[in-house]
Amino acid sequence: MRSRETIAARRAPLRPLLAKEIREIVAGRALWIMLLLMCPLIGYSFFQAVSLYAESSVAAQQSPVLAASLSPLDGVLVPTFGASYVAVTLLFPFVAIRVLGQEKETGTLRLLLQLPYRTSTLIGAKLAAILAAVVVVSLPALATLAWWTSLGGHLSAPETSNLVGGHVLYGLLVGAIALFAAAVTDSTATAAIVALAFTIGSWVLDFTIAGRPGILEWLAHLSLTQILRTFEQGFLSAAVALGVIAAIGGFALLAGIWLPPGVAARVKLAQSIACILATVVVVALIAQTGFSRDVSEDRRNSFPAADARVLAKLSEPLQVSVHLAPEDPRFIDLQRNVLSKLVRAMPDATIRLAAARQPIATGTGDETYGQIEFTYGARTDVTRSTSPREILPLLYGLAQVPVPQPDPGGGYPGYPLRTDAQITLPFFFAVLPLLIALAWWLSRRPPRQAFAFTTETTNDRH
Amino acid sequence: MDGDQASPALMDVAALTKRYGEQFALADVAFDIHSGEVLGIIGPNGAGKTTLLEGLAGLLPLDSGDVRWQGRSLSRAQRRNATFYLPDGLRPYQDQYVARVLAFFAGVYRSPRAQVAWAIERLALAPVLQKRVNALSKGFGRRLMLALGLIAPQPLLIMDEPFDGFDLRQTRDVVHMLRELAGERPHACACHSSARRCGARMRPVPAAGRRPGACPRNA
Repeated sequence: MRSRETIAARRAPLRPLLAKEIREIVAGRALWIMLLLMCPLIGYSFFQAVSLYAESSVAAQQSPVLAASLSPLDGVLVPTFGASYVAVTLLFPFVAIRVLGQEKETGTLRLLLQLPYRTSTLIGAKLAAILAAVVVVSLPALATLAWWTSLGGHLSAPETSNLVGGHVLYGLLVGAIALFAAAVTDSTATAAIVALAFTIGSWVLDFTIAGRPGILEWLAHLSLTQILRTFEQGFLSAAVALGVIAAIGGFALLAGIWLPPGVAARVKLAQSIACILATVVVVALIAQTGFSRDVSEDRRNSFPAADARVLAKLSEPLQVSVHLAPEDPRFIDLQRNVLSKLVRAMPDATIRLAAARQPIATGTGDETYGQIEFTYGARTDVTRSTSPREILPLLYGLAQVPVPQPDPGGGYPGYPLRTDAQITLPFFFAVLPLLIALAWWLSRRPPRQAFAFTTETTNDRH
Repeated sequence: MDGDQASPALMDVAALTKRYGEQFALADVAFDIHSGEVLGIIGPNGAGKTTLLEGLAGLLPLDSGDVRWQGRSLSRAQRRNATFYLPDGLRPYQDQYVARVLAFFAGVYRSPRAQVAWAIERLALAPVLQKRVNALSKGFGRRLMLALGLIAPQPLLIMDEPFDGFDLRQTRDVVHMLRELAGERPHACACHSSARRCGARMRPVPAAGRRPGACPRNA
């Protein structure tokens, strides 16, 4: 029956491993309890968002200018998915930890590590199961999209899929952190504390030091919350998306390093340092990736199309010197309304921050503070305005090109909608929880293969 | 049951040492296993039997020593290709049904369904196939672990306290089965005394804390 040769040459199939990982997540109560908690949380957030949107739509339906400011992305989708974000931040670590924490706590890991899989394959399968769990816990939020459409609401496919993709990436990142936490600790309780220290810690980091100058600003950018902001603004940035994927890979690699118990701690520590350094280098390289796309329907992250076409044709380098401190609200305004759009419209634009501190703080009374200096070719002009309405004509003047006429009928119309989302409450408070409870019950039924094993005869064992 | 002692050893273990700080858990341990043999690792509580088996299986870092398979040195990662280790007191995947756990291991090792059915029959697991692992009695839990060992295709089976949890009749049945299997697959089991019932060649492990050299080969 058995060969005395070792089994090194065999390749184990992935399917049983993947199925086992998914069954392990499904067998735990954490996934189902999280889903049941998310139903009323997301349902009520959706109801509130739609109610406010409907109230705003009453006035907007009388005025096209007001209507143009009504975007379903800002009004409905972001607040609704915001509830999902809170649940994923606080609850998903408990779901994701189970894929490894249970095996470590019960000692089953000692069997798992003897199976003919590489550690990277084991971690990959666990990450795949976490991704499946992220998709499952996103179902209540995805159900709101169906409800919004059925209520007559408008959805823009690019900005909606960008937002959903951002939340899936965020969930997977939280899951990867939880996997790492489970790998470095011996109990699920300790793993949960480590994972929550990351997620809630970065949350605190975000609202306590965001907008502060220097290293604090840099630290604030490491917050997990910052990742979602990009997607919530209808902006698809390769640097952010690939950076998150690299961070997920980094945490998965760290989990793989700490998984095998047969390796000495000092070796694991050395490998971890190398892994962290490699991840930092990869993320830094990815940060240089310039590819980005404004997927928002109202083009909030770009200049109007006519202006963008003219700016793209300006061939000489543009230098912008900003005499504003980074924490100055005017700089934040300039950055959001002009600079971020300008660097994407003009590939050869360079921005230099000339003032590190506000004159009030330094007491120097610098008269140039507040100036923004534009140098295009040999010509230079200065303004103190942070509005694109002032700055774009200034740029056209420097480049000696006529001011472009806006495209006819190209403006964002806005999507006001007077509707009542009361009908959705029974779905999110009763129907969906019942469906989830039914799925939970079905998942706990005994398997059928028991009969297949017992009906075999033992005669053909060899 | 001594195997073919004249033939070269299947596995040859030399100078295994494991220290926790100044304390020696294993000190220069050496032994070999031959084809068709059951080797009993015996020793008092805390002697380092489990440490030795986990070190052999590559699940515990050892300070020094060499493990050879048919004369070739096995790295820590390679040992799982030659051995399958059944830890003591383990209930794998406690929220899963017994049938699913067996199906998982059979799927990973591409074991024929008939082989799984044979293991179920020999270990009388049929009545608990549709029970969750955490609902099993201690004896059935141990039988499930043995069934996993029977499904796994590695040529050497290493068991830690394989008779723990069995009553006298169950111990007799399992001993009988292990004797039968030894002809085609050697075993190493760590236990206090029951391995003698399998006709095992006994190999004492020196009590933890001894200095190196305290347990010479062929002691």
